[in-house]
Amino acid sequence: MEITSSSQQKNTGWSWHNPTLRGWFYQSFTIITVLFLVYYLGSNMIENLRLMGLPFGFDFLTSTASFDIGWTIIDYRPDMNYWRVYLVGISNTLILSFLIIVFATVLGFLMGVVRLSKHPLVAILARAYIEIFRNIPLLIQIIFWFVVVFLELPKPKNSFTLGESVFLNNRGLYTPELLTNSPVLMVLLLTVAVWLLYWLLPSRLKPQQSQLKSPSEPEAKSQAVLATTGLKWLGYGLMLYVVFLIFSDDFSWQNPQRGRFNIEGGLFLPAAFCAALIAMTVYRSVTIAEMVRAGILSVDQGQKNAAQAIGFTRWQTLKLILIPQSARSIIPPLINAWLTIVKESSLAVAIGFPELVSLFMQTSLNQTGRAIEVVMMVMAFYVVTSLLISGLMNQLNKRMQIKER
Amino acid sequence: MTQSSKQTQLKIFLPITARPPPGVADTWLARLRQQYFSSALSAALTVATLFLFYLLISPLVDWAIIKAVWSAADRRECYSISPDGACWAGIVHWFNNIIYGRYPDLEQWRINLVFIALVAWAWPIFVSRFPHKTLVFLSLWFIFPLFASYLLLGGTHNIVSQIFFAVACAMVIIIVACLVWLLLGRGLNPSHSSLMRLRLPALGLTVLAFACQYYLVLVPVETTRWGGLFLTLVIASVAIMMALPIGILLALGRRSSLPVIKYLSITFIELVRSVPLITVLFMAVTMLPFFMPNSVELDKLAQVLVAVSLFSGAYMAENVRGGLQAIAQGQTEAAQSLGMNYWQTMLFIVLPQALRLMIPNIVTSFISTLKDTTLVSIIGLFDILLMAKNMALDKKWLDLHTEPLVLIATIFFVLCYGMSQYSLHLERKLQWSH
Repeated sequence: MEITSSSQQKNTGWSWHNPTLRGWFYQSFTIITVLFLVYYLGSNMIENLRLMGLPFGFDFLTSTASFDIGWTIIDYRPDMNYWRVYLVGISNTLILSFLIIVFATVLGFLMGVVRLSKHPLVAILARAYIEIFRNIPLLIQIIFWFVVVFLELPKPKNSFTLGESVFLNNRGLYTPELLTNSPVLMVLLLTVAVWLLYWLLPSRLKPQQSQLKSPSEPEAKSQAVLATTGLKWLGYGLMLYVVFLIFSDDFSWQNPQRGRFNIEGGLFLPAAFCAALIAMTVYRSVTIAEMVRAGILSVDQGQKNAAQAIGFTRWQTLKLILIPQSARSIIPPLINAWLTIVKESSLAVAIGFPELVSLFMQTSLNQTGRAIEVVMMVMAFYVVTSLLISGLMNQLNKRMQIKER
Repeated sequence: MTQSSKQTQLKIFLPITARPPPGVADTWLARLRQQYFSSALSAALTVATLFLFYLLISPLVDWAIIKAVWSAADRRECYSISPDGACWAGIVHWFNNIIYGRYPDLEQWRINLVFIALVAWAWPIFVSRFPHKTLVFLSLWFIFPLFASYLLLGGTHNIVSQIFFAVACAMVIIIVACLVWLLLGRGLNPSHSSLMRLRLPALGLTVLAFACQYYLVLVPVETTRWGGLFLTLVIASVAIMMALPIGILLALGRRSSLPVIKYLSITFIELVRSVPLITVLFMAVTMLPFFMPNSVELDKLAQVLVAVSLFSGAYMAENVRGGLQAIAQGQTEAAQSLGMNYWQTMLFIVLPQALRLMIPNIVTSFISTLKDTTLVSIIGLFDILLMAKNMALDKKWLDLHTEPLVLIATIFFVLCYGMSQYSLHLERKLQWSH
C-alpha cells in the first residue's frame, strides 16, 4: 500500500520521473527546435533574397517563357507563360509514366509466370532477364538505350520503315495518327476503350459474379445473365460502329511522309521518349515479375494440387486458382511499384526528354532563378500524385480484402 | 530365345523387372528427355530458347571478345584494326579515371589504403569466431569515417582528427594482427580480460601513429577532384551510414506515443518518400544555398551527401519499422517489468533483435542506394557514370559510348548481384536460426 502511494506520488509531482510531464517536455523541446530551425532558415532566405534583389512570389508564372519545347501533348508555343510550361511538363510526365505502368505491368506478369516455368531453359532465360536488368542502375540503362540503340539508328534519309507508314530513325518513331474533327467520336472511342478494359478485368471483380454466387435466387441469376449478355452485345455493337466510323470520312489516318530532310506528319515519338519508355518498362517489369512470382508462390500448395486433382490444366490452374488468390498479396506492392514509376519517370531528364523536372527544375529555374518556388511546385506535384494514387488504390485494395470473407 | 522357351517349358516364375516409378529418370539421357523433350511444346521451347541464347550471345561474344581491340593509340586506330569490334583500348587508357576520377595520380595510394583498411576493419564482422563484434562494428561506424576523411581530404588537420587518425591506425593494426592470429589457427579469447591485455600495445601504437602522422604531410585534394567508382562508393557508403541512425530515430518517432513527435516523423517520412530522388538532389543544389547564411561556402559534395542521407534515411525508417514490428510485444513488457526505461528497453532489448532481423533489408537498401547514386551525375558530380560519359568527349576517343557504358554496367552488375546473393544467404541463415 505504501509502495503504490509512494510511486503514485513519484509519478504525478513536478519531477523528471513523471512520464506525462516528461512527454510534454520532449514535445515542447521538439517544437521549439523545429520552430527555431524554421526561423533560422527563413531569416537566412529573406536576407539572401534581399541581397540578390529577388522577391518571393509566384508572379513569374504569368510571364512569357520564350523557349521552345521539343515534344508536347497539349498545345504549346514559346509565347505562352511559365504556368503553361508547368502543365506541359506535368502532361508529358503523366503520359510517359502511364505508358510505362501499362507496359511494365503486362510484361511483369508475363515474366513472373514464365519465371515459374517447369522447363529449365525457359526458367533460366527468365532468371537471366530478371537478374541482368535488376542489378544495373536504371539511369545507365536509360542512357544505354538512348545513346547506344536509338542514336545509332540510321539518319532520317534512310530510316527503317514498315510499308511507308511507320518510320524508325535516330530522331525517333513515326506512326500514323488518327485524326478526327468530331468530339462525339472521340467520346465513343473512349467508351469502347473503357468497355474493353472492363472485358479484360478478371471476372471475380465484375458485379455479375457476386450475383451468380447465390444460386438460391434463380430470378436474380437469370437477370444477371441477361444483363451480362446484353452488355456484351452492346459492346460488340459499339465496336462494330467504331470500326465502321474509322473507315468513314470523319476519321482519317495521317501517314508520316518522307520530307526533304526529315519525316513529316503523323504521330512522332522522339528517341528520348522511346528510350526512356523501353528502359523503364524493362526495369520495372523485373520488379513486378518478382512480385508476381512471390504472390503465386504464396498461394497454398494444396490449392494447386486440388485444382490438378479435379483435372484442371496447368493454364486453368494458373488463371482460375493461383492468380486470383495471389492478387491479394500482389496488389499492395504493385501499387508501390506504380508510384515508383511515376517518380522514376523524372529520370528521363538525363536524356533530355521534356518532362516536368527537365522543363521546370532545369530550364525554367535557370531562366527565372526562382529556385524556391520552382522546387516547391515540382515537389507539390509529386506529393499530390503519390497521395492520390495511393489513396485510390488503398480503396481498391480494401474492397478486395473484404470480398475474401 | 532359347532361354524363353526353356522358361515356358519349366514354368518357372520369373518376375519381369519393375518399371521405374513415373517421373523418375535414372540415366542422364532419360532425364534430358524428361526435362527438355517431354512433349512437343517442351521440345519446341527447348529449341526456341537455345536459338534465342545463340542469337543473343554469339554477336556479343563476337563484338566483345573475338573482334575486340585491346591496344591502340586512339579510336581511329581501333577502327582501322577492326571496324565492328569493341574498342577496349580506350577503356584501358581511361580505366584509372573511371575508378579514381580526377584524383591526382600520385595520391591514389590513399584511396587504396582507405579501401584496404575498410576491408580489414569490416572483415571481423563476417568472421564468426572473432570476439567483440559490436565494438568492431561501432568503431567502424564512428572512427573509420574520420580516418577515411583524414586520408582522403589531406591538408592540415586539427588535433582532434589527428588523435582519431592515430587511434584508427592502431585499431587497423590490431585487427589485422588478430586476423592473422586467427588465420594461423590460434583461437581468440572472447573475454574481457583479453581485451584489457591489448590496452598497452594499443596505446603504444596510437602514440607511434600520432608521432608518425606529425611528419606526414598529405597534399590536400579538393572534393571537386573526387570522382569515378571511388566517389560512387563514398556517396553510397556515407548515405547508408547516415541513413541507419536517421532511420532508427524516425522509426522510433513514428511509433512514439507523443503526438508531436509522431506526426512530425510521419510527415517527414511520407513527404520524402513521395518525391523522386532527383528533385531532392536539385533542391539540395539549387535551393539549399538560399537557406544558408551568406558567409557559408557550400561544398557540392556535402550538399549531395546531406540530401542522399536524408532520402535514404526516410526509406530506412520504414525498414526499421518493419523490424521493430517483428519483435514481440512481450519483449518490451518484460524489459519494462524489470524497471528499464524507454531508451534502455530500446537500446538493449528491442533494437538489437530488430537490427539482426533487418540485416538482409539493410543490404538490399544499400544496393538500391548504390544504384541511385548514379543520379548525382545529372547534377554534375563526376561519379562513375559521368566519367564514362565524359570519355566519349575525349578527342582521342570521340563518341566511344558503348564500351564505357558496358564496363560500368558490368561493374554495377557484379557489385549488386554479389550483394543481393549475400543478402539472400543471410535471409536463409536467419530463417534457420529462428
